[in-house]
Formats: sequence, C-alpha cells, structure tokens
Amino acid sequence: MRVPAIALKRRQWEPFAFASPALVLIALVIVFPLIYSFYLSLRDFDLSVGSDSTFIGARNYGEALLRDERFIASVWNTVVLIAPSLVCELLAGLGIALLLNRVTHGRPIITALLAIPAMVSPVMAGMAWRMMFGVKYGAINNLGRQFGLLDVYFDWFSSPFMSVVSVVLVEVWQNTPFMMLVLLAGLQSIPQELYESARVDGASPRQSFWHITLPLLKFTMVVGVMIRMIDLTKLFGLIFVLTFGGPGGATETVAFNTYLVGFKDFRMSYAAALSYVIVGGVLILTLLFQFVQRWREARAA
Amino acid sequence: MSTLVGTTPAVAVRRVNRHRVGRLVADVFTYLGLAVTLVFFLGPFAWILTTSLKGNNDFFAFPPVWIPSDPSLAHYVGLFTRASGLRYFLNSLTISSMSMVAALLVSLPTAYAIARWRFGGSVFGTFLLVLRMLPAIALIIPVYLMYKTLGLTNSYLGLVILYTVVYIPFAVWLLVGFLRDFPVEIEEAAMIDGCSRLGSLVRVVVPIIAPGMAVVALFSFIATWNEFLFAVVLTGIETKTMMVLVTTYTSGGTDMFYGEASASVVLGVLPAFAVAFMLQRYLVKGLALGGTKG
Amino acid sequence: MRQLRFLAVMLVLIAVVAAGVMPVQAPAQGAKPYEGTTIRAVVNAEYVKYSLSLVEKDLYDKLGIKLDVEVIPLDAFVPKTLLEFNSGSSPWDLIMFGPSNMPDYGRHFEPLEAWTQKLKLDFQLDDIADVYKKLMLRHNGKLVSMPYDGDVHMLFWNKVAYERPDNKKKFKDKYKYDLQPPKTWKQWDDASEFFHGWGWDGTDNKLFGAGASYKPSGSGYSYHWWRSRFFSYGGQYFDADMKPLINTAPALRALEEMVRTMPYYPPGVLLFESEEPKTMLVKGEIPLLYSWTSTGKRVGDARESVIVGKAGFGLVPGAEIDGKIIHRPAITPGRAMAVSKYSKKIEPTMKVLEFISLPDQSLKIVMDPKTIMDPWRVTHFRSEKFRKAFPGAPEYLDAIEKSFPLVVPDPVIPGADEYQRKLSFEITEALAKRKPAKEALDSAAREWDKITDRRGRDKQKAAWGEKMAEMKAIGIEYHPDWAAKAK
Repeated sequence: MRVPAIALKRRQWEPFAFASPALVLIALVIVFPLIYSFYLSLRDFDLSVGSDSTFIGARNYGEALLRDERFIASVWNTVVLIAPSLVCELLAGLGIALLLNRVTHGRPIITALLAIPAMVSPVMAGMAWRMMFGVKYGAINNLGRQFGLLDVYFDWFSSPFMSVVSVVLVEVWQNTPFMMLVLLAGLQSIPQELYESARVDGASPRQSFWHITLPLLKFTMVVGVMIRMIDLTKLFGLIFVLTFGGPGGATETVAFNTYLVGFKDFRMSYAAALSYVIVGGVLILTLLFQFVQRWREARAA
Repeated sequence: MSTLVGTTPAVAVRRVNRHRVGRLVADVFTYLGLAVTLVFFLGPFAWILTTSLKGNNDFFAFPPVWIPSDPSLAHYVGLFTRASGLRYFLNSLTISSMSMVAALLVSLPTAYAIARWRFGGSVFGTFLLVLRMLPAIALIIPVYLMYKTLGLTNSYLGLVILYTVVYIPFAVWLLVGFLRDFPVEIEEAAMIDGCSRLGSLVRVVVPIIAPGMAVVALFSFIATWNEFLFAVVLTGIETKTMMVLVTTYTSGGTDMFYGEASASVVLGVLPAFAVAFMLQRYLVKGLALGGTKG
Repeated sequence: MRQLRFLAVMLVLIAVVAAGVMPVQAPAQGAKPYEGTTIRAVVNAEYVKYSLSLVEKDLYDKLGIKLDVEVIPLDAFVPKTLLEFNSGSSPWDLIMFGPSNMPDYGRHFEPLEAWTQKLKLDFQLDDIADVYKKLMLRHNGKLVSMPYDGDVHMLFWNKVAYERPDNKKKFKDKYKYDLQPPKTWKQWDDASEFFHGWGWDGTDNKLFGAGASYKPSGSGYSYHWWRSRFFSYGGQYFDADMKPLINTAPALRALEEMVRTMPYYPPGVLLFESEEPKTMLVKGEIPLLYSWTSTGKRVGDARESVIVGKAGFGLVPGAEIDGKIIHRPAITPGRAMAVSKYSKKIEPTMKVLEFISLPDQSLKIVMDPKTIMDPWRVTHFRSEKFRKAFPGAPEYLDAIEKSFPLVVPDPVIPGADEYQRKLSFEITEALAKRKPAKEALDSAAREWDKITDRRGRDKQKAAWGEKMAEMKAIGIEYHPDWAAKAK
C-alpha cells in the first residue's frame, strides 16, 4: 500500500528544528570565536602590555610571512617532520593491512589491539616514549645493550637530526594504525572475484597486487594520506612532551611556535594571525594535492 | 581448479602441493609479521605498565630488569593520594561522559536532518574538512577570552560545551552513515500509526541504531578524554583532567617521579584499551571515517 | 551489543552523579585559630607541591588551615597565572612565583608590611641572605614576597676524579699545571676535555667531561649556564640606553667557548633539564657540574648517590682579570611566595606565609633532597642539623653562603620571561650547530629590541635604569675590555 504523501511531506521548518541545537552551538563556540579571532589578528592585542589594542590591518600577516625568521623556520621544521612520517605510515600501514587481510581467525581482536596506539592521546604516547628513550633507564637503550647493539649512552635526542628521527618514530608508531584501518577498509571493498579471475588467468600474487590491489586502493590511499597530512600540520602535543621544540629549534612545528607566541609571549593578535596563515597554508596544500590528483587521473585516462 | 584440467594426475598433485607449501609459507610469514607488529605497537604499553609497578631498585638497576622483582602498587597509591590522581581521573571521567551524552543528544537530530532531508547539501562535508584543518590554537585564544568573561573557566560546563561542539561534526558524520542504512519504511509505518517525526525517531529509530549510537558515544568519549590543549588552558584545580596531570611530570620528573609518571600514563590509556576491545568490529568503519584524536 | 549500551548507560550515570557530588567539600569544625579554612596555592611543579606537604601537618596542627595545592606545568605556569591576574582576579590565595618575574607579577601582590604590623607577623627578615633581600623581594619599594628557594648556582666536583694520582699525573703532563677543581673557565674547559671519554674513576666505563642543562623549556636553561661566563667576562644585559649588550665581545667569547666544548658533554645535553645532569653527577658519570645548590642534597643522599663523602663544593668558576678571579654565579629564577591581593582570605594566607617561612619550617623544606628547594636563610647555612646531614655538608653550606654575595640576577624588568626565552633559544641554536654563534647572538639582540619596543621603550629604559643601578651597587657592570684580557 502506498503511503500517503502527506505523512512524508517535508515541513519547511522541520530540518532546521532538528539541526538547530547543533547549529546554535557551532555558531557560538566555533564560528563566533573564529570571527573574533580574525578580528583580533588585525589588531595588536598583546596581553602582557595591556588590554587595549589598535587596528593595524594586515601588518601581522606581513610580519609572519616576510620577516619572522622563527616562524618560517618552523614551517620548514614541520615539512621535515611530515614528509618522512607520511611515507612511513603509508608503507607500514599498507604492509600491515595486507597482512591483516589474509587473517581469517581473530581478525577483529588483532585489529583492535593494533588500533590502540591511534586511540591514545599524543601526550600519553609522548610521555611513554620519552621514558622509553631514557638514556640510562629507558627500555630501548636497555634492549640495545642487552643485544650488544648499543653503546652505553646512546641518546635519541643528541642532535637535531636524531631528534627529528625520534619524533618521526613516535608519530609513525602512533598513527600507522589509522592508516592501516583506512587501507583495510579499502582492501575489504575490493571484490574477491577480481582476484579469482586473475588467478584463473595465471597471474602471480605479485602481479595481482600491482595490477588489481594498488590501482583499486589508490583512492583510499589518497584520502588517507590527505587526512594524515592535514593532521600532521597540527603536530603539537607530542612536541610539548618530548622535546619542547628542541634541541635549539629543530622540532619547533608551526603549531608549537604559535602556542609559544600566544601563550608564552602573550601576543594574542599575532598568534591569531599565525593560526590563519597556517590554515591558509594547509588549505592551499590540500587544494594542490587534490588538483595534482585530478590532473594525474585526467592524464591516465 | 580449472588450471588442473588437462594435466596429468602427477603434475596436478605436484602443483597442488606447491600451492599448499606456498600457502603455508605465506601464512607463517603473515602470522610472524603480525606478531612482530603487535610487539612493536603494544610493547611500549607493556613496558610502561611494568615500570609503574617497579620499585627503586628495579628501575635504577643496571643491567636492566624487565619484570619487577617486587611488584607493588605503591606508585598508584602515591598518585591517588599525594598527587590527587583520583580527583583528576574522576574529572576526566565526568567531563568525557557528559560530553559524550551531550554530543549524542545534539548530533542525532542533526544527523537525521541530513540523512532524511539532505539538509545542508554538500556544505557539511566541506565544513568537516575545514574544521579538521584548524589547529586548536586558532580556537583557544578567543575561546579562553570568551570563557574568562563568562566565568566558564575551571568549570565542567565550559569544557563540556567546547568538547561537545568540537565533536559534533564527527558524531554527525558517523550517525549519518548509520541512519542512511536504516530502512525508511519502518519509520513511515510508525508515522502512519500516528507518531510524529520526532516521536518516530525516538521510539523506533533509536532503539534499533542504538549500537551505532553507542559506537559514536564511545568514540567521542575517547576523543574528549585525550584532549590536551583546551584542558590545560581552561581547567583549574578542581577540574583538571588526566592529560594535564601527566604533563606535570614533564618538567624534570621522569627520573625522580618515574613511578607516578608511568602510573598516570597507564591510567590515561586505560579507556583506549577498553574502548578498543568493545568496539572491535566497528573499528574499521568508525576510526577510519572519524578519528579519536583530541 | 547489550554490553555497549550498558556501558554507555553507566557512563551517563557517572556523569550525572559526579556532576552533582563533586564540588561538595566536607565542612570542618574545631577550635584552632583558623579552623576550617582552606588556602589555595599554586606552584609550578610536582616537587614543589611535595615540599609543601612536608609542612602541611604542622600548619594544620598549629593554625587549623588546610592547603589545597594546584600544580600548573612549568611551561604553562607564567602564561596561565599572568592571564588570570591580568584579568583582575585569581582563584589562588598563595602564589609561588619566580622573583625574576616580579615586574610582571608584583602589582598583583598584597604588600606585607601593613599586615606584618596588624597581625604581628615575624618574617625574620634579617635572617634572609642579603642579596636576595635586596634584589628579589620588593616591588615598587614595597615588600611583597618571602623567599622559598635560594636557587643559586655553585660548583660540584667528583673527588675521585680529582684525587686519583693517575689522573693528576696525566693531567699535569698534558696541560702543564696541577689538577685542581676549576677556578676559571679555562680550567673548567680543560678539565672537561681531559675527563671526557674514559674511566677517570678507575673503571673501564666511558664517562663524560662535564654536565649542564640546555633544554629550551620553561624560561630556557641554556642562558643560565651561559650567563656565568658572560658576566665574568664583563658582560651586562643592556646599556643605559636599553641597547642589548648580548652580542658583544664578552657574549661571543662565552658562547664560542661553550660551542667548542660541546663534544665533552653527554649526548642529549641539549634537552637536559635541571635533574638529568644532577643524576649523572651523583651516579659518578660526570666529574664536574655547576648547577643549583639543591644538587648538594642529592649528592649527600645515600639512597641514590654513589659519591657521598667524595664530592667537593665550591664557587662557580670565573674569569681571571688582572690577577683577580671574578665569579658570577647565577641566581635564577628563585622561588618566592606571595599573597594575591585578589584573595578573599588574605589574613589566613599571611599567617600561612609567615609559617612556611619560619626558620625551622623552611629548614625542613630545604633539607629534603626530593624538594629541590635551596637554602636561603643564614640560619639554614649555619644550622647544626643541616651541617650534620651528610659528609661534606659544612663545606657545601659554606660555599653557598660565599656564593650569595657574588650572584648575578636575571634581567628583572617587565617581560623578563620573554627576554630570557628568546636568548636561550638562540644559544641552544648555536650549541646545536644550527647557527654560528655570532649570528645567534645578533638574532637574539634583534629579538630583544623587538620586545623592548613592544613593551614601550621608555618604560623599559626606566625599569632597567633602576636594575642597572642595583647591579652596579653589588659590583656588576659592563666591561668591554675584559673579554680580551680574561685568562
């Protein structure tokens, strides 16, 4: 029996009514502060000096982009941390997802166990690893010494290079599971028949990997990498606990630098400007990423 | 077995055997690989746990001691009493529970509007992405100034409102997924029987997608539990969370207060373990789409 | 899925119950003077909270006051507390702060003199180390705080390293003078080079040359270590016109020496905070360290130290200028306690302040190795109890007493925290070899100018003028020629 149309007719106000609590809250707690933040960024509000401020237009932005050596250095530091992390997370995530996909018994429990690092706070991960990296009493050096691999006092933060390595290590440890889950979802959506018919046609496992799995996973990989890239630009908690931006300024990321400017120097307006510069940068990066993807797809077609 | 058609029995058997051996090698490799992976990803937790149970002799021992010879909960006791760990643990529990409930209450109707009426169109997806790009820093300054004027710092309410709102987009996204899978006919049937739209939502839809809601609830619990920056800035002595407690050990504390530091980490990651176990089957869908970061 | 629902319901119940129950505190009854009062204190580290717990019981027994201590992590401490104060209120009654930040905090504190008269408080001001009294407790001429932690730097050395005949011979052969605890920077650098990389304690272990702390957290550690060299080579923070002098010859010499001797320090020194080098010292892995006086307590603590009775205590090395050695130990940042003027419980808080500053109560605090608080009263230095606490304690306390008159403070002007951080950052950049020393210091000077401009050049000049005069009164001024002739 067909349902009378009246019962389903959309009353104009209903969707708004349902969504209104969320919309109101979002407007108050996100949209309004963001607008206020932008307004702040056009002034010179500095809490250490006082509560007055004057309008200075785009001067903060000019300073951030052209004259702030430390901010520009932090951009570079962020890139140096993001690139290897992304590569490692993608490769490791793919490898583990492939392994997991082959498992028939107990896959849910293993997946759950492997997912845990991604579900703990970066602050916890940082704290745990910081203790593990301990020169004399940390787990890693202890292990290394027991196997005769390490000299007594290997320090994981002894130089800017090593610090970057260590931070990347913890980042990869924490977020590979995320990539793994994304790729696992992608793998599970590839129809088994494709593999079957490939095997019938005599394809080796390697060939079916390169010609079936990878191409069909491409979209998932792109989405995963893009999300991780966006998340990595916000790298903060880990730095706070592990290195505090050191040695020197080697691991000072853009988010960390903005925190220092806003909460240590109290230059709220400048910090607001910096955050918008960062968001703008990430936006451009994301758009570029998508653009390149589409261009490559168009070329392949 | 089509490859075997047209071959001699001997050849066929050999091919099957090679296949089986190949399969066996692949299986061994797979399980070995997964074992190593598990050790890598879970090892740190095991170490932190044993460290939190070690006494001074074991911690400072050289060569290293892996299993505490004299395990004791002394550090946990110290954490709970002297360092007020119990209070902070309860704070985290309270704030995350309240946020979780609030997020659900607000997100469910919104998700319904999007799933049933395509409210907002594709704006929502874009909004979600842009929101993800925002570093917490961008929000924290204006929110702090706002809260200071409204007197919401050092209050449960302040933090809960903030966490709820920040988590709404993800909660909505997940719920939309669950709702879209829900057959409209059942709702229609209820409404023919005289239910209002809202009534049908509450009485018919909710009980059936309850598992999905629980998933969203638990993910949002974890995300708010893990949140750090807002917690540090907006809490005071009564409302401090576990995340903030851990950071009090970051300055010069890891050698002298190793016991309490590691105990606080153990407590801080407990929810992650619990939620992971409970949501095993939903992990791929939920985590891949949403995220549990703070 | 029933378990999930059950759990969700449980959490909701917890939320509801907790929201209703949590804020409630049990009321107290009794007959002590301030029975039932709770004073809220804020401190910047777990060990400070621990130190207060040592006197809590006596405080309650005598006055009936309970302490509720909040710990804000070191790196968020100054920002968070200042944010609260600048908005005109504070949730705390008793504030622990760094005297170096007095210009930014001072106006939020309740002056002590009026209350001293009213409540007949006895702070025993004469007993406080002179320099501390003169430089660090006043704001706009009014006394607003009491010391809590001496925080002076001094020298520690491992006697085993210095007294082994084998070591002595090897050193003399190489450097052509007798092996002795370093009095000058050259001797320090030679010693760190000499001791690095082999078992100077007679074992086969590969040990290190010397220790330091260089992490950029807090207000930045590296600048405290650099400062002692800088000032002993004749440096000063600014000149009378507020021009930074941190990239002049004394500054460069100090930094270049530090960069050159980096290889003799343990790997990871770039991220050391205060405690790591102390641990290495007491475990016999470094023969030399200059650091806060609290190190001495750990040295004497037999529970963890292997050098009890085998450690020497002295003045931070200096520079030899015209035959005289100029020592400039740092005093930094210090910890002091003050009463918030926005507090609704000023009277009991004043009593608390008096109580924890009493000689015997504060002695408890500064004697415990886990508190990291340093002695600051003359009675601490001369206390029989303290002098018997561990072998070498008398030399230790005498060295502290001798160090106090020579100290060089932080630049105690508005924005002190920021000036220090920017300078520390550049110093560690040079130490990490990410920048040449000269470039780092020039960059720091530029940043200092930016800070001065932002805070108001004239205001800063006035504030600095006062500090410069105070420092001159204790013998610290700029000597551009010293860097070249210091030995």
